[in-house]
Amino acid sequence: MGLEEINIIWLEGQDCAGDTITIKQASNPTLIDVLTGAIPGLGGLKLAYHPTLMFEWGDDATQILVDAMEGKYDPFVLILEGSIPDESKAGDGVFCVIGEHDGKLLKLSDVIDSLAQRCAAAVAIGTCAAYGGIPSGNPNPTGAQGLLDYLGKEWTGGLGLPIICIPGCPPRPDNIIQILGQAVLAARGLAPLPELDEWHRPVAFYGYTMHELCPICGFYAEGTDAHAFGDTGCLGALGCKGIITNCNNTTWADGYGGCTGTGVPCFGCTHPDFPDAPTSPFFAKAPAMPFIIENMKGMLAHAEMGFERFKPVLEALLPLVPEFIEDLDRQMEEAKDKGRKI
Amino acid sequence: MGFLDKLKGGGAKEAAAAPAAAPAAAPGPGGKREITIEPITRIEGHLGVHATLDTGAKKVTDAYAYSPMFRGFEIILVGREPSEAVMITQRACGVCPVPHGFASVNAVDQAYGVTPPPMGVVLRDFVHGAEQLYDSEVGVLNLEGPDYSEVAVKKFNPDWWGEAQNTKAERSDVHGFATVADIMTALNPLAGELYLRSLLVQKAGHNMAAIFGGKHPHVHSFVPGGIAKINLSASDIESYLTLLMRHVAFTKELVTATDDLLNFVLAQGYEDVGARDINLLAVGSYNDPEAYSADYEGMTELGRKRMVSPGVMLNGEVVTTDLVEINAGVREFIGRGWYSSDWAQEIETDPAGNKIEYEHPWNKRTLPEPGEYGKWGSKYTWVTSPRWKNWKGDGKNNVLELGPLARMWVTAKVGLVPESTGSSLKFELPAAVIPGFKFADKMEFEWKIPAKPNTVERVRARAYYNAYSAYCVTSLVMKALELMKAGKTQVWTPYEKPKEGIGFGAVEAMRGSCLHWCVMKDGVISNYQYHAPSTWNASGRDPEEQPGAYEQALIQSPITEAGDPAAWKGVDIVRTIRSFDPCLGCAVAVHIGDKVVKHELLPFATPE
Repeated sequence: MGLEEINIIWLEGQDCAGDTITIKQASNPTLIDVLTGAIPGLGGLKLAYHPTLMFEWGDDATQILVDAMEGKYDPFVLILEGSIPDESKAGDGVFCVIGEHDGKLLKLSDVIDSLAQRCAAAVAIGTCAAYGGIPSGNPNPTGAQGLLDYLGKEWTGGLGLPIICIPGCPPRPDNIIQILGQAVLAARGLAPLPELDEWHRPVAFYGYTMHELCPICGFYAEGTDAHAFGDTGCLGALGCKGIITNCNNTTWADGYGGCTGTGVPCFGCTHPDFPDAPTSPFFAKAPAMPFIIENMKGMLAHAEMGFERFKPVLEALLPLVPEFIEDLDRQMEEAKDKGRKI
Repeated sequence: MGFLDKLKGGGAKEAAAAPAAAPAAAPGPGGKREITIEPITRIEGHLGVHATLDTGAKKVTDAYAYSPMFRGFEIILVGREPSEAVMITQRACGVCPVPHGFASVNAVDQAYGVTPPPMGVVLRDFVHGAEQLYDSEVGVLNLEGPDYSEVAVKKFNPDWWGEAQNTKAERSDVHGFATVADIMTALNPLAGELYLRSLLVQKAGHNMAAIFGGKHPHVHSFVPGGIAKINLSASDIESYLTLLMRHVAFTKELVTATDDLLNFVLAQGYEDVGARDINLLAVGSYNDPEAYSADYEGMTELGRKRMVSPGVMLNGEVVTTDLVEINAGVREFIGRGWYSSDWAQEIETDPAGNKIEYEHPWNKRTLPEPGEYGKWGSKYTWVTSPRWKNWKGDGKNNVLELGPLARMWVTAKVGLVPESTGSSLKFELPAAVIPGFKFADKMEFEWKIPAKPNTVERVRARAYYNAYSAYCVTSLVMKALELMKAGKTQVWTPYEKPKEGIGFGAVEAMRGSCLHWCVMKDGVISNYQYHAPSTWNASGRDPEEQPGAYEQALIQSPITEAGDPAAWKGVDIVRTIRSFDPCLGCAVAVHIGDKVVKHELLPFATPE
């Protein structure tokens, strides 16, 4: 398929439009930069369908979806925002309809089934779309699922790529736009494919925990804990889940914000199990095991780091050791001579 | 057979249903026509309206609003820590999360009995105000604006275009557009100057929220007893103020351009489009940090000291400005919602001793009962039907409209703030010299109470609310600096969480108001109910067959769309729906005459 022109079909399922609101905050590049073709290599992208931004409505809008199912928008990238309910649990009713065409309902799940058969790639934006998120929270009243479970981890699109997940509630603005951008560059042979982890997250953005990247992690290292909101210190005792959450929200957008740096404990909103355990209760301490492992690893590593740091000193002292022992022996002899015990 | 074949009527079952459901059917008997609009785009979420059009008289004669999406937040909340509701309910809406967080944390403050320190309150308001600024800009210029853009006008109201080209824009000294047609061109999606600049300026609102919220949407810093912000310094407030001044500069262009555009639209026969009676509800915003209290009865004073006033207006008259009375009058009917109303009355009175009825959200439970789609005579939506009972008056259940028009109207009318004149709101924004913005001087604003609520006035009020929010937040910045000078920098009050508690919190969101109710037993949520900003407006019929606010605004609304009625796209209908700035998963289906749109659920498609 020719990739000079790539259409984007953006569906909203059981969503809140929070990811759409977020992508409008991106700076590097901005959404306008991308859609107006201002970035070399990223030109030719067309937002063919997006319920919150598009001009068309009603049948003019659903016609685009129907045409996309027929291949008139090939090649296209399918983007999902929000989770997918299990309509079999809705009895005679429906949990998520995204439109009506010729008097017939377009159920989200049916549209995804159809578009997933011919899309070039599929991207799940936000924790709901990726793993189910809030609607799938216990007791999951609608049987909500993310795209990864819905289509399966083995699913691949027309370009041979698996589903790309960009979790977060919502994800950082630049994460969304940069991951989408890299996927397009990769599809055009201009950049390497993004490396994905077992949860289909791009490693470059989700390879570390919030705890590892935390702007105030120094307080943890020195053992200063905050026990009241507003107090400066590690937020672990206030419920921070940074140690179990892969996220890079050191700052939110344009250098402003960032959860822990602002003083807000991480509630694990990028975590596949959000909003249930182990991220919930949000204000309860994170599971102990990661801390125990980290502390053990830390003690050994600190010893090694200390050795590395003081190695020159130790090495300078080492040749002096025989001399020092000789000196001790001499002192011992002298003491014996004086009839004193050491 | 795949889903697409079924969609195209390939199956016998579907083929039979197709003719009756054709969206562009020829005019029916009596000059009536059937039209289906779903989805309504440029709103948040999934909503629908099903209406009847009289093509001869060019008006809508009947309408049903519905939402076809359900997630079950209130069910997911049961059994959790009340403080988790503050984080989870925000996620109901990514467009206006903060009012959910704000109303929720108010309700939980009450349930826990913890009053935040003044700085905690003012910083929460900073985050809230930041959101109102971005939200109103996006609403007016990116979601509603395209309906009045050159593209839309040339397509749907071509006779307006020539006149717009010849209509001088009165405030071109501020916004720089010579004619009304130039403003319309500036609203073209992804191309017009105002459309694109709005996308750039609105970012500053999110940035402001992130300074004290960590991120936006879905801020994590609202905690019972205050706000989670460390290392608070004057430089944080200075960063906030710097970004605020971009909105101060932009709102001068936004308000004057909107005024010029809407005055023109009004003159094209738009006076009655989307009109309804003056039945309004506001709960107020922007707190006096010293007056905030977690005491239920303290809400009366808290509300009256807000810079946006609470109040109920029935037929143009103010009935109450007391948040306690407002709460006691709320009734939530299942109406035509796909729910069961089979719950027990657990709460008899509020903490002030007022009677709490069976249908009050403190008693109401969320019991979903999915039903068949498109049954306009019975259940047809996932939205319930909140109504306000005039419990100190005639006892009638009233359909109220919420949103910027309602709150500007109430604030201007009740006279609780110095900016209110009884018939208008007057305020001044300071000078802001920022490169890239067209008008640097200070500017006086006056929003005048209009003749009636209608489509144009809802959009205009949203633009003015952007300016009024900038004004309110500017004064809160000064308040925060005063608190800082006085050493009152504490942001959180420690508390002992009780086992039992009850709370109500309410604050304005851009497109309506957030009202949250929390009942805590054994330290966890036993019942949590919330009204999203659009719940009241988007509600369907109630047990007395009173239509909801969207429905009322559409019924009897004139149609100005040009061309053959068989090809109408329903632009006046979507303009009216979007004037409410809906915030839910929605779609609009319009039903004409005696023909009933037949909705048929498509079977689950199995890939071939």
